[in-house]
Amino acid sequence: MKKTQDFTTNHNTNQRRNMSATLEAPTTEKTAVKKMRKIAIYGKGGIGKSTTTQNTVAALAEMGKKIMVVGCDPKADSTRLLLGGLAQRSVLDTLREEGEDVELEDIRSGGFCSTLCVESGGPEPGVGCAGRGIITSINMLEQLGAYDEEQELDYVFYDVLGDVVCGGFAMPIREGKAEEIYIVCSGEMMAMYAANNICKGIMKFAETGVVRLGGLICNSRNVDRERDLIEEFAKRLGTQMVHFVPRDNDVQRAEINRKTVIDWNSEVNQANEYRTLAKNIDKNTMTVIPKPLEIEELEALLMEYGLFN
Amino acid sequence: MKADEPTKVIQVLDDRAAQVWTKGSGEAFVCDRKSTAGSVTQRACAFCGSRVVLYPIADALHIVHGPIGCAVYNWDIRGSLSSGSQLHRNSFSTDLAEKEVIFGGEKKLEASLLELIEYYKPKAAFVYSTCIVGLIGDDVQAICRKVSKKTNIDCIPVDSPGFKGTKKTGYQAACEAAYKLVGTGDTSGISKYSINLMGEFNIGGEAWMIREYYERIGIEVVATITGDGRVDDLRRCHGAALNLVQCSGSMTHLAQLLEEEHGIPLKRVSFFGFEDTAQALYTAAEHFGDPELMCKAEELVRDEIAKYTPKIKAYRKELKGKKAALYVGGAFKAFSLVLALRALGMKTVLAGTQTGNAEDYKQLQDICDPGTVIVDDSNPLELAKFVLEKEVDLFIGGVKERPIAFKLGVAFCDHNHERKIPLAGFEGMLHFADEVAKSVLSPIWKFAPRHELRALKINTQIADTESP
Repeated sequence: MKKTQDFTTNHNTNQRRNMSATLEAPTTEKTAVKKMRKIAIYGKGGIGKSTTTQNTVAALAEMGKKIMVVGCDPKADSTRLLLGGLAQRSVLDTLREEGEDVELEDIRSGGFCSTLCVESGGPEPGVGCAGRGIITSINMLEQLGAYDEEQELDYVFYDVLGDVVCGGFAMPIREGKAEEIYIVCSGEMMAMYAANNICKGIMKFAETGVVRLGGLICNSRNVDRERDLIEEFAKRLGTQMVHFVPRDNDVQRAEINRKTVIDWNSEVNQANEYRTLAKNIDKNTMTVIPKPLEIEELEALLMEYGLFN
Repeated sequence: MKADEPTKVIQVLDDRAAQVWTKGSGEAFVCDRKSTAGSVTQRACAFCGSRVVLYPIADALHIVHGPIGCAVYNWDIRGSLSSGSQLHRNSFSTDLAEKEVIFGGEKKLEASLLELIEYYKPKAAFVYSTCIVGLIGDDVQAICRKVSKKTNIDCIPVDSPGFKGTKKTGYQAACEAAYKLVGTGDTSGISKYSINLMGEFNIGGEAWMIREYYERIGIEVVATITGDGRVDDLRRCHGAALNLVQCSGSMTHLAQLLEEEHGIPLKRVSFFGFEDTAQALYTAAEHFGDPELMCKAEELVRDEIAKYTPKIKAYRKELKGKKAALYVGGAFKAFSLVLALRALGMKTVLAGTQTGNAEDYKQLQDICDPGTVIVDDSNPLELAKFVLEKEVDLFIGGVKERPIAFKLGVAFCDHNHERKIPLAGFEGMLHFADEVAKSVLSPIWKFAPRHELRALKINTQIADTESP
């Protein structure tokens, strides 16, 4: 608890320092103005959130950014590609086995290009409360100072379970933890339903906090007119399509080798696609409170783009 | 003027207005509904309801599957006495914490049950579900089945997450759980003149006194449910010929199950006060239709009343005209107390219950005097308001009402879990009179601020009339 408070205080001091730096002394050293961007990736289950997140993180890391990835899924498979398949001990497993006396190093592993990887973990399917697990695990990271200024992080990425089934899975977008959300979707109907639903959640938390929608990432499923459809969908939501990631079997080839595409073969076209996505996110300044669609409107959109013909 | 102020500040919440009724007002009365949010009801949760009903079963293991607070909250709460095993007085708990909330508490429950059953060798085990268990969805039934099979001891889940409903919902869950044992025992040798005493919890040893009355007139008591209760008695209680239900709120459901499934008729009785105790004995005697039973019952009542009447009369003289407020769990106790107080020359000016239904309140309204305020599912502020407004001399209630009375400088009589002397039966009436008199007539109350205010008011009035 004490550490959490310290964290908040540090954060505020940092902001104040930023202000005074820009207002009064433009010549002060640049290091003081570094601000960590806090990003959460949501989307329908099986849409490719973890794959997209890790490939994007690899590209950002390649650009020299310092990043921490926090997997928020009881399956604990959000960091496999960055760690080269190393089975990581999850926060909750560590907490269960070693009690409260946990060090940051016990639960955080170094991955591709010095990325920092954390898995929340959680119960096996059908027992306990995975949502509470996410809450506990994020609180623990805060207490241990994983987000502190001296970590000098440029980014923290939360990779969250597809269906935000209860309050626990909304933890990363509560209380200003993640400030920018990117939703992975495709031109398939259920993926768009899910994206729309997630927007409802963001809208709710945006009213009470700082969380905003940064855009949609289209992870192509080769649906007809998919690019147009998602661009239009994004527009209606009041946001943008950050990037259209084409379908490419190199992703699977890299995955079977337990690697991100850039790590596996940095020359292939798909590696460049992820570099573009990373760059788009890095330079993105458009963050909005989304306007979710009514179901009828969403269906009409799908009809218009010929999915049902 | 100042003396009036405290009473004026307290108002009844709008949403509760229909649950507060004055006899003679002609208004409609509402009861049997969920508590108004924010009213700070005197009711407990569903889990607590189930626990207080089952816990007097002394040779069973009672384990609370939940955070430790749930178990501590009602540890030994009922004060039920046992003539043998004291196992029930332990508050076993699985002590669920963050870890179990996340990963599930089933394994811990299984391990706890196995360890406790091995150590204590109970006749049966009751497993109470709390809010947390209801939320995380532990399969308590499956664990109970598994452990029952492994140990040959019946493990019975009590489906009582606190948020499931009112305290009454918990009573129902308790009855369902107890009913799982009913019908599993041998009923041979049970007399045709036999009863179960239901809703009698043996606080201060009352079940023993009442059992003795029935045995004196020739009626066998098969099971007292659940005061000084035993698992084996519950197993064979379906062999009794009649069910006498005292605490209407908690036990009516079990009595109804016994009526539907085993054809045992049920009759409502009470053992508080001379009138009701006598009536309870006559009810059973009359039911069996044997003139000899009735003869013995009349003889017993005559003897007992003659024994205590002179002393009661002496108290009556001193207590005459004093005003009482009562707030209790079930309606039957409220009826009895109104009558018992009347027998002491006292007037009931406020009566209320936590769990009464429409039928109960109709009866309560009938026996009360005009002007009596009747409240359903009340809260501390309302109770304080009427205690002050009605200038009450005695408050009768349980542990949660006691501080209200003492803060206001009013005498208090615990007629609930915390009484240590029997208040039921003929002898109990004398104890009751004794306790009421000692409390009400104590000189301490003249120092209470409430009385100072009253004195101030009178003095001011005198001063007003005296000054020209």
